[in-house]
Amino acid sequence: MSPLAPIEKPAVGIIANPASGRDVRRLVAKASVFHTAEKSNMVQRALTALASCGVRSAVMTRDLGGIAGGVLRALETHRALPSAPWPSVTFLDLPIEDSAIDSVRAVDRMLELGVALILVLGGDGTHRVIAGRCGSIPLVALSTGTNNAFPEIREATIAGLAAGLIATGAVSREAGTVRNKVLRVRMNGEERDLALVDVCASRDHWTGARAVWKPEDLTELFVTTARADAIGLSAIAGLTHPVERSAQQGVRLKLCPVGEGIMTVRAPIAPGLIAPVGIAEIGTMHPGEEHMLEKRRGVLALDGEREIEFGPESRLSVSLHLDGPLTVDIGRVMRLAVEQGLFAEQVRHRPAEYHEIYSTAPDQPTEETWQPH
Amino acid sequence: MATTLSREDLLRAYRMMKTIREFEERVHTEFATGDIPGFVHLYAGEEASATGVCMHLNENDKIASTHRGHGHCIAKGVDVDGMMAEIYGKATGTCRGKGGSMHIADLDMGMMGANGIVGGGPPLICGAGLAAKFKKKNGVAIAFVGDGGSNQGTTLESLNLATVWQLPCIFVMENNGYAESTASKWSVACKDIVERAHGFGMPGVMVDGHDFFAVYEAAGEAVQRARGGAGPTLIECKLNRYFGHFEGDAQTYRGVDEVKKLRETKDCINGFAKRVTGAGMLSRAELDAIDKQVLAQIDSAVAKAKAAPKPAASELLTDVYMSY
Repeated sequence: MSPLAPIEKPAVGIIANPASGRDVRRLVAKASVFHTAEKSNMVQRALTALASCGVRSAVMTRDLGGIAGGVLRALETHRALPSAPWPSVTFLDLPIEDSAIDSVRAVDRMLELGVALILVLGGDGTHRVIAGRCGSIPLVALSTGTNNAFPEIREATIAGLAAGLIATGAVSREAGTVRNKVLRVRMNGEERDLALVDVCASRDHWTGARAVWKPEDLTELFVTTARADAIGLSAIAGLTHPVERSAQQGVRLKLCPVGEGIMTVRAPIAPGLIAPVGIAEIGTMHPGEEHMLEKRRGVLALDGEREIEFGPESRLSVSLHLDGPLTVDIGRVMRLAVEQGLFAEQVRHRPAEYHEIYSTAPDQPTEETWQPH
Repeated sequence: MATTLSREDLLRAYRMMKTIREFEERVHTEFATGDIPGFVHLYAGEEASATGVCMHLNENDKIASTHRGHGHCIAKGVDVDGMMAEIYGKATGTCRGKGGSMHIADLDMGMMGANGIVGGGPPLICGAGLAAKFKKKNGVAIAFVGDGGSNQGTTLESLNLATVWQLPCIFVMENNGYAESTASKWSVACKDIVERAHGFGMPGVMVDGHDFFAVYEAAGEAVQRARGGAGPTLIECKLNRYFGHFEGDAQTYRGVDEVKKLRETKDCINGFAKRVTGAGMLSRAELDAIDKQVLAQIDSAVAKAKAAPKPAASELLTDVYMSY
């Protein structure tokens, strides 16, 4: 590893996971395919947006998947063409192991370099790993697929604009970010891992191909956020007992065979997969409360991926906490920027009709409507 | 239902992986003595892939292999004594000693052959898949392909054909990071081979090829899909080989201590053993007993191969050309 060279501020970190969007859900649930080239293009679109907001430098992970390679080639081309400027891009000189440790090291290095925030391209798993390391640095969470509950599917240009507005301070961090909830998993008295959206116990014995798509195996579910329009395991709660991201509580459910318990819900537990799930019990999770899991052999899935194999002797618990990662609320940041007039430059006085039409009576246009261009 | 593996399944998986490992480690040692003619390409390190896939197969199913084919042969049930004798070029070999390491084939076991032609397997399984489709016996055909083989025109044509004809084929891309001595990051245009599946209209899945359970589950879904008539699947197993491209390869293209580190951290057999004993499904004593039996089996195979006669000069042209 080379010594840290200072970077020009404001700076933004970019972590793009080359492995996301490749799991078995492509086979069993027709989940979306997300190509490396598109991930690289997303980074490039975000760079344009970051530069337009005044971000001077970006620090990016390297990878063997071709994302950084694509950006590197684009940087050369970009310099040669009369294009809008990009921030200077530094590729982190870190070992590449093609595993979660790459993201962990990248976050640590980005924090040392003093980035204002980190733009993350990946799935729930990528964000979960980064959330465990990023401390008080906000994340701009971008989904690279249709299968994620935590990161949003957003156009990278808009995400880049929101990131740039926060990084430069044009929109205040306090106003433009939200603190997320987190689920912490303890095993035999020690903290083992965390999840941002859901923790689910399954009767499966092995982590296998990681993804969860067989509802009949599920026994217990804990969620931080349960939206009615969510995809994934949290939809089981979202369609019966919704909880907002901003609520100071979570939901826990005990699951059972279909037709038993208190209800059966048909939930979209994966893209293209709507399955009936039996619910035996629903309860509220309050912050700090430790919920012990039933003792049995099984597997624990964190944010939809089987991660922890456990036996009947293991003591497992899940608790909700309110000190999860900060994330940039892209929609809110853009609205605040509009309210502050950050995008529009006035070039002539607006005619009186503008105020009449756009300030007081937007639903009643007249023939004399003035169309701004 | 959950991906269930009985104790018997787990014991079988362990025995299969261990047999492949011991076979390859022993061929590595024996090759250095100069008694083995021709080239050998060893599969050690990649055992979870062949095992995780072939555990789902039956006698109706066909596989086509690569130049690195010993593991696939063992996983498909080819006789170890016959394989070892074949590698030694002896008359008792699977192909009567005339094929050697790169051409071990046992059609009775559904093993269509190791293959000296890189990318030679995929077209074969299109034929086998078409036959299975016409016979309506729910057979599947599987090609194991390396990252180098994934770039061959034959492979790409086969991916296309398998989708066009909706064949019960599975293309298992064993990406060990090197095509001979060329790193796949230099030679494979899209770094994850799985990305190509989408372009050929089939689902693609990437799994950790060191993890038997991951391969087993993904392969199980793909086999079920193929048997059900839903068409082909591509599975990319990310894995590593412990030896060179061929025996004698100086491996100057690999990092210092790369293999040592892989053996320490990415050993599919150790990982499997740790998990099944940790879960209380199997005991270390049971695994040790298998280790001992496998060692004895390989010792015996080598001894028999060394003692076996070479093919007679009069047999030079028999079994070599097929007459239709």
